[in-house]
Amino acid sequence: MTPVVQLDAVSREFAGTAAVRELDLTVRRGEFTALLGPSGCGKTTTLRMIAGFLEPTAGRILLEGEDATRLPPERRNIGMVFQSYALFPHMTVEKNVAFGLKMRGIPDGELRTRTGEALELVGLSHLAGRKPKQLSGGQQQRIALARAIAVRPSVLLLDEPLSNLDARLRIQMRQELARIQKETGLTAILVTHDQEEALELADSMVILDQGTVAQQGAPREVFRAPANRFVAEFLGYENFVELPDGRTVTIRPEHVEVLTSESTDSTPSDGTTVDAVLTAVRFRGTDCVVTAVSQGRTVLATSSDFELRSGRQVRVHLPAAHTIDLPRTKQELPTS
Amino acid sequence: MIRRRPVLSLLSALAMVFLLGPILLVVAIGFSSGDTVEFPPPGFSLRWFDQALSNASFQQGLLTSLLVAAAATLFALVLGIPVALAVQRRTFRGHKAVETLFLSPAIVPELVLGFALFQQLMVTMRITALGALLIGHTVLLLPYAVRVTGASLALSDPALEEAARGLGAGPLRAFFAITLPVMTPGIVSAAVLSFLTSFNNVPLSLLLKGPGISTLPVEMLNYVQFSYDPTVAAVSTLLLAATVGAALLTERLVGFNKVFSR
Ligand SMILES: Nc1ncnc2c1ncn2[C@@H]1O[C@H](COP(=O)(O)OP(=O)(O)O)[C@@H](O)[C@H]1O
Ligand SMILES: [Mg+2]
Repeated sequence: MTPVVQLDAVSREFAGTAAVRELDLTVRRGEFTALLGPSGCGKTTTLRMIAGFLEPTAGRILLEGEDATRLPPERRNIGMVFQSYALFPHMTVEKNVAFGLKMRGIPDGELRTRTGEALELVGLSHLAGRKPKQLSGGQQQRIALARAIAVRPSVLLLDEPLSNLDARLRIQMRQELARIQKETGLTAILVTHDQEEALELADSMVILDQGTVAQQGAPREVFRAPANRFVAEFLGYENFVELPDGRTVTIRPEHVEVLTSESTDSTPSDGTTVDAVLTAVRFRGTDCVVTAVSQGRTVLATSSDFELRSGRQVRVHLPAAHTIDLPRTKQELPTS
Repeated sequence: MIRRRPVLSLLSALAMVFLLGPILLVVAIGFSSGDTVEFPPPGFSLRWFDQALSNASFQQGLLTSLLVAAAATLFALVLGIPVALAVQRRTFRGHKAVETLFLSPAIVPELVLGFALFQQLMVTMRITALGALLIGHTVLLLPYAVRVTGASLALSDPALEEAARGLGAGPLRAFFAITLPVMTPGIVSAAVLSFLTSFNNVPLSLLLKGPGISTLPVEMLNYVQFSYDPTVAAVSTLLLAATVGAALLTERLVGFNKVFSR
């Protein structure tokens, strides 16, 4: 099956500085792909090139198998949801949603039906006559989504669509987005810097680092096995430890066990266990985060033992099942 | 309110007195039955309105003023809107320089600008007074056209036009369906401001007038130099009424605040 979107070594420079470098990306039909990475890593640039608002300085973009590298946006059949929503302020909600259908010359009757369906899908049929200014942020967001979906695009492009919403609404809209994508079966590319959003929504996750792919795969795979330190750090791995046998590993604080003389005397048979002193304890309500220092090395761990205090002698256990080997990066290689 | 902020209230009251006082005075004198400008007026009459409306040079001046203001506003907008668009979108290198060029007439003293145009247009190029007035006022209004439309563009979301393109509109269609309607309040504001600026202008018009062609404010200035009767007060009252009417109409159309903010 031809992929819906395919990027072949796509690069984009701005005044000599590369924002995206030789990026390869394949998005299959019905798949929800997340482009994830810190601010400035080239996510928006990539999305804008797929939409046709920016031309790549090198490489090819295929849409539905056809070369679309130089195709203007109006001939790409994309549906884009902008970070600012970009609803047309002088048009009613209904006119906004109908705009793409009108541009496609859809006859009146069908246009009304499809506009109605799109509004229904986002649950805002009752606001059809309003102007965008009269809507809340969350409602504007849904209308922007309805407008993009109404044209039945070959791919739905979402640029940080939830970032302007407050925390509670964001989580609610995340579920809405998942439902709508399931119901419509649309192919979608979501740009986000929020790893939770990507983990929850995406079938496939692409992590970008300075315009190149740092790792891609299913969220479960990537999360369980970050390929390098950049990805690990981005996904919230906070411990990077060089083990006595010379391996560099990473482990999440939630997976590090803090053992005290009261909790157990026996040394776990797997993984690595070291003696350490607690130098800081931060209470977080459901657990605490402790800083343990062993032979000059620092390890962060979470614990639900609320009796732990700074200065306490403990043993720190890094279970084998949760320690992930990392390739040595250039900086960490011993100088020869 | 008054009790909480005595200083502010006092200043507001003073401002009202100094702003509105002279205006009300002029209106009162316009309706005077006396032969000279005096306050309080000895009685009520409409005779000076009669005088004003039948004065041939005022009639000529009003026609010229309206024509020049309307045409110069149109020219300034036709030239200024594309500049504002290009500057906002940074479509080419040197857009800053172009913007500065179009804003510069606002920095040059109007008398200097007027004298330069007089030399260039009327003395050297021998252009008629009406032509010189049109060109001069267009130059005068360009900064307003560029600034005000530019400000309204800057406030609008640059993604709007892209959204239209993404939904299948070609560049022209996106411009006429989205960009232009979104700019409309800015354009109306710029038009109102430009028209009033041109209509009220004295320094440029003074230098660029010619035989049988001069603007209403210049004719009014001429008149008060030689006569001390309430005719000019009556003209002023009529102008005031027209301006208030125009302002109310604009308020109904686009909202007053939009016109005068920025
Ligand atoms: N129009 C532009 N002109 C110059 N540099 C740009 C432009 N757009 C993006 N960049 C640069 O390209 C890099 C990637 O930007 P962007 O794709 O917006 O990142 P992200 O969306 O991941 O935060 C950044 O360093 C940014 O400064
Ligand atoms: Mg971005």
